[in-house]
Amino acid sequence: MDVDLPYRLELISDLPGHDERAWQVAWNPTKPLLASCSADKSVRMYSYRPSDHGSKSLAFSHMGTIPTGHTKTVRSIAWAPSGKTLATGSFDSNVGIWEREDVSDSEDAGETAGDWECMTLLEGHETECKSVGYSSSGTLLASCSRDKTVWIWEVKPDADFECMGVLMEHSQDVKCVAWHPSEEILASASYDDTIKLYIDDPSEDWFCFSTLSGHKSTVWSLSWSPQGSYLASSSDDLTIRIWKRVEEHEWKSVLELRGHERSIYSISWGVGKGASENLGWLTTTGGDGKINVWEITEMQHTKDPLSATLIARISGAHDVNDVNSVSWCPRLEHPDLLATAGDDGSVKVWRVVPS
Amino acid sequence: MNGEIFNANPTVYASKRSTRKSKFEAGQSLWIDEQYQPELSSESEVEPIDEDEIFDLIRSIADPEHPNSLEELRVVSAEQIEMGDNHIMVEFTPTVPHCGMSTLIGLSIRVRLMRSLPQRFKVDIRVKPGSHQSELAVNKQLNDKERVAAALENSALVETLEKCLEPIGGPHSR
Repeated sequence: MDVDLPYRLELISDLPGHDERAWQVAWNPTKPLLASCSADKSVRMYSYRPSDHGSKSLAFSHMGTIPTGHTKTVRSIAWAPSGKTLATGSFDSNVGIWEREDVSDSEDAGETAGDWECMTLLEGHETECKSVGYSSSGTLLASCSRDKTVWIWEVKPDADFECMGVLMEHSQDVKCVAWHPSEEILASASYDDTIKLYIDDPSEDWFCFSTLSGHKSTVWSLSWSPQGSYLASSSDDLTIRIWKRVEEHEWKSVLELRGHERSIYSISWGVGKGASENLGWLTTTGGDGKINVWEITEMQHTKDPLSATLIARISGAHDVNDVNSVSWCPRLEHPDLLATAGDDGSVKVWRVVPS
Repeated sequence: MNGEIFNANPTVYASKRSTRKSKFEAGQSLWIDEQYQPELSSESEVEPIDEDEIFDLIRSIADPEHPNSLEELRVVSAEQIEMGDNHIMVEFTPTVPHCGMSTLIGLSIRVRLMRSLPQRFKVDIRVKPGSHQSELAVNKQLNDKERVAAALENSALVETLEKCLEPIGGPHSR
């Protein structure tokens, strides 16, 4: 732990349980639930509530495991904005859609409701699915694969899905898809070192309107800023880039950050807890086992439009293991809470607290 | 996999005697993780591991195309191994620059080390600079953990890989 930084990462909960590498964590946007997926082909669910001792601390408990039935690694998970549906993307090339039987709308539905059921299996990719994501309205789902394609699905009633487009823009594996937080803009990141942005042409199909080049190796992960005017990317080239929207359909690289010694597998941009005029907190993690937290600030009178200050860091977050995923809790009451998943099969929950 | 032979007549070199007999060669389990986990034998001490020891682990891997070990074909050598602080860089030399087996060879080196070494080691594998026409592509693929993980869930590939990892002269060697 770097002592000279203004904040530190406090371990809130260590949640072992997966038999193999945990690939991703995903916070439910509406309920106190955290999901993780793994090479052991399962999804684990944790609920949380204020613990008995201390108002700020939270108690996490395992509330169920979905065996999924995927025949290979579950690489990616994503919640729909309603919090009622979970999508799983697997190396078996399929995308699973999961809902829970008899869900009540009460706050602690997390603890009581029935089993998770596979509502639909979306088949289409030829090889490993690597990432899935719901649009902000919940009406679209995107998936991507080693088959170099990005699929866009329309979410219809009764767990029905219709393919709206197959985007074949990348020349290599597509590693990550991420939807803009309010508009129907999709970003994808690839082993071909580029990022592509897509929109729907009302009279035609979905198309790529921009390619963001600059990274010198695989782009592993993407995260939009909470307001959507910036996109952050993390790469095997050991850099983090921030791209700014300069026109409606034009994005430019405005900042390059360093702070990891091995591939940066995951990035997440949250609202943070700092001053209201900053752009929130960006967190990154990767093969070096570090978690970095940066405060991003918009600059008014300087050459660079943005500045990033490292405010917290921890090394060996999952002991000697790679950390594959990091994600801020999207619930407003916990802007300082994040979760990670590692090669040790465990999920950890951290709070960013003043040093 | 079958069909084209990328190098029909490789040069075969004599293999040196091992300075120490690796547990693998001594005929113990192919899954030697447990014996090699120093944590199990001594709780707190971290057992130092050197280049020769890494070489002993990979020298006996079979070439996918020939009835020879990677050492006999000079694909691997102790000089091409670099140890850092919990970091290992293994360089290997394909026998011909168009060798289509390079990713398989690299993958077998990675799997052997993954199964044998404590988890604290981060391993990078690359072909010797200038030794392969698709050097960058081979290196990128061998060091992409997601691609490696997916490859190891491909049963046909794993079957081929296990043949390379069997001891030379074992029951299934050609």
